[in-house]
Amino acid sequence: MIRIILSALAGVLAATTPATAQDYPPLPKPGAPKPYQVPASETYTLANGMQVTLIPFGQVPKATVNLRIYAGGLNEAGRNGLSGLTAQMLREGAAGKKGSDLAEEAAAMGGSINLGNGLHETTLGIAALSERTPDAIRLLGDVALHPDFPASELERIRQNTLRSLSVARSQPQTAANAALAAAYYGADSPYGRILPTDEQVKSYTLEDIKAFYRANFGAKRARLYVAGQFDPVAVKATIEQVFGGWAAGPERLRVVPTVQPGPRVILVDRPGASQSTLRLAWPSPVAGSPGDVPFEVMDALLGGSFTSRITKNIREDKGYTYSPFSSVDFNPGEGSWTFNADVTSDVTGAALKEVFGEIRRLQTVPVPDSEATGIRTWMSGTYILQNASQGGLIGSLAQIDLLGLPSDWITTYVPKVIAVPNLQIHEAAQQLPLDKMTLVVVGDLAKVEPQLKALPELQGVQFQRVTPF
Amino acid sequence: MRMSFVAAAAIALSSVAGTATAQRASASRPSGLKIDTQYFKLKNGLKVVLSRDTSVPTVTVGVYYGIGFRIEPRNRTGFAHLFEHLMFQGSKNAPKGEFDKIIYDNGGINNGSTRFDFTNYYEVVPSNALESVLWVEGDRMARLDVTEDALKNQQGVVMNEVKVNVINQPYGGWPWLDMPQLANVNWYNSHNFYGDLTELEAATLADAKQFYESYYRPNNAVLVVAGDIDYSATKAMIERYFAAIPSGPPLKLPSLAEPRQVKEKFQVKPDRLAPKPAYSVAWHMPDRGTPQWYAMGLIDQIVAQGQDSRLYQKLVRDTGITSGMQAGINVGLGNMYNYRGPMLWTVGFIHDPSKSREQITAAVDSVIEDIRTRPVSAEELERARTKIRSSLYNLADPSTRFGLIDLLAVGAMWENDPRWANRLESGFSKVTPQLIQSTAREYLRPTNRSILLVEPAPAAAPAPATGAKQ
Repeated sequence: MIRIILSALAGVLAATTPATAQDYPPLPKPGAPKPYQVPASETYTLANGMQVTLIPFGQVPKATVNLRIYAGGLNEAGRNGLSGLTAQMLREGAAGKKGSDLAEEAAAMGGSINLGNGLHETTLGIAALSERTPDAIRLLGDVALHPDFPASELERIRQNTLRSLSVARSQPQTAANAALAAAYYGADSPYGRILPTDEQVKSYTLEDIKAFYRANFGAKRARLYVAGQFDPVAVKATIEQVFGGWAAGPERLRVVPTVQPGPRVILVDRPGASQSTLRLAWPSPVAGSPGDVPFEVMDALLGGSFTSRITKNIREDKGYTYSPFSSVDFNPGEGSWTFNADVTSDVTGAALKEVFGEIRRLQTVPVPDSEATGIRTWMSGTYILQNASQGGLIGSLAQIDLLGLPSDWITTYVPKVIAVPNLQIHEAAQQLPLDKMTLVVVGDLAKVEPQLKALPELQGVQFQRVTPF
Repeated sequence: MRMSFVAAAAIALSSVAGTATAQRASASRPSGLKIDTQYFKLKNGLKVVLSRDTSVPTVTVGVYYGIGFRIEPRNRTGFAHLFEHLMFQGSKNAPKGEFDKIIYDNGGINNGSTRFDFTNYYEVVPSNALESVLWVEGDRMARLDVTEDALKNQQGVVMNEVKVNVINQPYGGWPWLDMPQLANVNWYNSHNFYGDLTELEAATLADAKQFYESYYRPNNAVLVVAGDIDYSATKAMIERYFAAIPSGPPLKLPSLAEPRQVKEKFQVKPDRLAPKPAYSVAWHMPDRGTPQWYAMGLIDQIVAQGQDSRLYQKLVRDTGITSGMQAGINVGLGNMYNYRGPMLWTVGFIHDPSKSREQITAAVDSVIEDIRTRPVSAEELERARTKIRSSLYNLADPSTRFGLIDLLAVGAMWENDPRWANRLESGFSKVTPQLIQSTAREYLRPTNRSILLVEPAPAAAPAPATGAKQ
């Protein structure tokens, strides 16, 4: 019995089919989707230029307070890591209170002081119990406006930073990202160096940190978001009281990156690695430009969703990888498309062959309507999901501000997605010319490089071995 | 990514999950969540929890099967997780690819995860697509249909998952996969849950059939539907797609018991990819649901959670040993509520080689001995309760509701009561400084702990087997 089923290859599990299987009704047709209104928000500007956005929204008695300041890697003027060190020092002492006191205050509000630091921004946040929202705003005000930068804590923070950097450099994904950024944006661009060197981190003094803070933190660069359940009258009054006196400070710095065109192959050796970490990149349309939304739909269909063509091919058909994905990433005035995957070393060339094949197929063959409709619906549904959480909505609004998108972007995005014609999806893929790719491979090069050399798409392309850190 | 071993993004909404209704009665506090639920059982034993919340026009569906990686077959380590992948590989009326297509093409997302004591499948879709989701979940519960090719394919995918998360990753598997292997003695609690690659490769369709018939039956499952639903219409749909699925035999669980540990355990794991040493220590927990278990939940908050915690103060601020810890109950694989068998409370961190093992153990000991010997202040205990209360609210994320359905499902599965979570609050409120101290004295004994170190190994050394014991 079992042998027969096995040999039939019909799926041995079908043997458990109950008698009622024949009666299973057909797949029901979904009804019309219900409309969803993105929660309304109120944005206003304090006299000193600080922007405030209040979003009363949420099912639980909590509020997320998020202060974002345009002070990050872009503002370092080549002194990589200085903004990160400055951010780390903010919560180590402020307004005469020790770091441990600040942490206890935040905990008693049901939250903790969360820090973020990137190329564009330093962010500070607390998710507090609703009734403590004004206290959370005061605490963030202490940390952002009145940091003490205690000398006693600097060496410890520096050692933590050095240790974290050393761990980050040991991860193949970080190595791939660093090699890609350096090749794609140029090593001298602030966009091109994702981690500082140890020497840089060791060189900064407390005075450097204070000077960075003075030069880059101020009301004109700051936006405060409050989302959740809170008392808007009390919150507005507290914001004015805490932030109204903040000096306007400098204007935001804008640096549009320039991209170094491909083709190129960048290799990082990782002897003995069982997988190759891949990055494949091209420029993409700028956020909000006419080509943007059609390109994003193309991305979802090609590699950005679990049902995408590349995922179906190299994961669900070939089993070469676990977590392939592509994404469109934006900076002000610049966009890029990146494909990411960790594939078993022996099939590095085979996996890339399939990826190139899927790109070429999308470039040459129009997309069937059912597939295009499915992907547009998926993007619409997940956009709603993304903006139906406090953190997600704040993230979207902050991105709109960062990229200078129109203020109605959130409410007009889904209609724009739905309106993308099938033909434009296929046309958008033309913006991934295979003869202009930037490919990064971190892996066991003795095993992998011959596989790459055999790929027709890489004939005549310069191969460059780099040490990313 | 999706179909992960640990649904980190989905369920790690908070390290301490809890009930939405765990609200201390106090005039100065807001009223808290009111989760509306309906609970019933189909004739075939399927437990069903419905919860209506119309704030966002989406519906979240979870199907929880009472089979975790603990009790997978002995010569098939990693099989529970591999089988989780197979559940996405096609059913009689929805061949391979259809499951994901139905969810995605309707504007939703889905995933699955394998944990100590259950495997779950969950999706969130616009509410108009609810019936399609129930249809396809019902089909795979009744008529999974996996081919040899699909099995081979997913063996490849899972082996790549192990490579990207463990084998080609510094600190891969530490401490979440390694520590249970050191601290536990019962095979069910102490084997490699991700699986030995050769055993993963040896899995057959016959194994899958047996596993499916043993564990993936309606009488071993909970279905949760939460969100923008109509109760009676949803009940009718569930009847339509699940009522005809036959029950399986009653489940026989092996003994998961761990003996009381009476001697400290110690192990060094060489890691040729790690640039810095790491230190981790774990203690066996009191049984779930006991007064001591509630006390350990608060001890976790006081000692290890957040920048106000005692270990943060000692290890980060005072001694500069590390910059932060991974710590918690069921760390890396869930929270203090979503497991049933023996469990560990674990603390782990990366440090510089200049800090010796003795120095670190002394620093950890000073914190642990203090909580074992001195009562906590009322203020500190209150702060711990506030932290728990706040983290409970995070579970009711209106966007996905994945945290909420997790709590409802485990309550239904193990307590036969999705509102089990409502009782958590009173459990925490009953914890006194004396109970904290007596619990710490018994459970945070040095003889109840296991210390696992990661040491950077020379690149020339062969890659260590994950969790290899000395």
